[in-house]
Amino acid sequence: MSAEPTTSAADASTTASGATPYAFVYDPSLGEYQLSDSHPFKPLRLELTRSLLECVGLLDKTHLVTPEPISEALLRRIHTDDYIAVVKTLSAGRSHDLAFRSGLGTADNPIFPGMHDAIMAVCSATVKAVDLVASGRAQRALNLSGGLHHAFADRASGFCVYNDLALGIEHAAQHYGLRVLYLDIDAHHGDGVQQLFYERGDVMTVSIHESGRYLFPGTGHTYELGKNDGRGLSVNVPLEPFTEDDSYLECFEAVVPAAIEAFRPDLILLQAGADMHRYDPLADLALSTRSIGESYRRVSELADEFCDGRLVATGGGGYDAYRTAPRAWSQLWAALSRQDMPETLPESWRQRWQPRSDQPLPSRLYDDLTSWDAIPRQSDIEAHNRTVLRRLRNTLDPVWRERFGYTLG
Amino acid sequence: MLVKDIMTERVIAIDPTMPIGDVYALMEQRNIRHFPIVRNDDLIGIVSDRDIRSVGSELPSSKQGVTLQDPVERIMSAPPITTYAADPVEESAHILRERKIGAMPVVDEQDRLIGIVTGIDFLEALIKMTGVEGATSRLEVEVDNRPGSLAALSEAISRRGVNIASVLSTRKDTDTLSFVLRVGTIDGRGLANELREEGFDVVWPTETKLV
Repeated sequence: MSAEPTTSAADASTTASGATPYAFVYDPSLGEYQLSDSHPFKPLRLELTRSLLECVGLLDKTHLVTPEPISEALLRRIHTDDYIAVVKTLSAGRSHDLAFRSGLGTADNPIFPGMHDAIMAVCSATVKAVDLVASGRAQRALNLSGGLHHAFADRASGFCVYNDLALGIEHAAQHYGLRVLYLDIDAHHGDGVQQLFYERGDVMTVSIHESGRYLFPGTGHTYELGKNDGRGLSVNVPLEPFTEDDSYLECFEAVVPAAIEAFRPDLILLQAGADMHRYDPLADLALSTRSIGESYRRVSELADEFCDGRLVATGGGGYDAYRTAPRAWSQLWAALSRQDMPETLPESWRQRWQPRSDQPLPSRLYDDLTSWDAIPRQSDIEAHNRTVLRRLRNTLDPVWRERFGYTLG
Repeated sequence: MLVKDIMTERVIAIDPTMPIGDVYALMEQRNIRHFPIVRNDDLIGIVSDRDIRSVGSELPSSKQGVTLQDPVERIMSAPPITTYAADPVEESAHILRERKIGAMPVVDEQDRLIGIVTGIDFLEALIKMTGVEGATSRLEVEVDNRPGSLAALSEAISRRGVNIASVLSTRKDTDTLSFVLRVGTIDGRGLANELREEGFDVVWPTETKLV
């Protein structure tokens, strides 16, 4: 990253009229992070969402901002030199003894040519989004191609090779001296980001996810609190499979506002994976698009209340590409850009994409809950999630009381 | 996993003549609850914080008449119950539980003190053995209790390029074994569904029926 924040062409065209307060970071090259033809992490989701937003008139050229390459110096602040060397070697089509130990060449993280550059493009876009908001040139920014929260300093994991979110957080901290609250609502625990900032006093990570007892990566328990300077700054809400809307929102409301109020961040970075939906083939939280949208809108309100609206969001998981990701992420952009997403989806959008989808594309933004079979044991699941909240309070409150003079309870 | 893999090697040994009060001060200072007692390189006993507290207590105990100025050898447990560095942890854990003690000095084949192992170390080992440290998915499969069942399962998983990080097994009934595996993939459900197609009885993740 250059010492002075730079302004892209798309950016400049809008700064003349006082800067677009809402930036949609986009570049066609972001579609190249396709791990293999059949891989569930599909950049296509980005196109589906962009096209839906254009059809309903919520996105136009004035919002688009092109990312710029980031420096390797920034990359090296998060990832180890050895690991970067392994990725580059494999990316160039050569083999490397440390490939397997680095989590590469596995079913989840296949090796593909040009891998390093493709992931760097995604990372650049997230850093760009953070830079726009941190510098005050935008109030909100979105990079739907980002959200690679499982990548560790020296290891690829769960579809993630480099950790764009950690790079964004580090950029905000190092270059602008900002305190970042990282909120991860992907169905999977945000283990990579948590680990990378586990001992840092200037970053809080909050992850709400399906419990590691059942779902990858297996971590994200309430007792993972952070260490040393970071003690009390890692917050985890592990939920039961089949949590559904009401219990989800109850848990969200019990933790997220309190965490933001306690930490008082300068900027919120939201990892908005869309895999907590009922249609998702990899996870089991079974939410509808309404509660997913509610959570985005709530984060937007809290950003206004506690950090002058400064909010950056990325995509993440979300493996039901056609029916779920566009309906979730169009609401994300609407919340960020303070617009309303219409409840009826345009016919033109459905016609364009229906031929490519095996499933009928929905005509409504919100799912019709009456058409879904009830999930048994709902009251048990709610009760269990409340126990999780109690446990979290019991572990976190003594630490927070000392640190912030503030508690969850 | 062996005792030497989980023990603390930098163990503080105490001379039997050390006054009990000084031993307690050292415990507090180092945040340690057990000291082996060594005389001329021979391990002769062990003392716990509980042994010492009963000296200072007004409550009736076997330590009546002992004062904090007395040498620690008056209250140590001797001879100590020890374990060998090369013992498997599960065997060593049995001793700890049977004797209801909190820690054991670890000795080599010549009975020389080389470390100490506590109940917490065994819990640590349990956590490691269950393999929840790496990023993995949980897979629970029931197989017939006969030769080759686990081999067939692990073969089917490895064929898909997925690593198995840990395996726990319990016997469900005479004919069925239940295996809980931690597997190195985010798509546990995809793997489960493929295993089902091959005829495996996968209990978790459940089949996707929600729509």
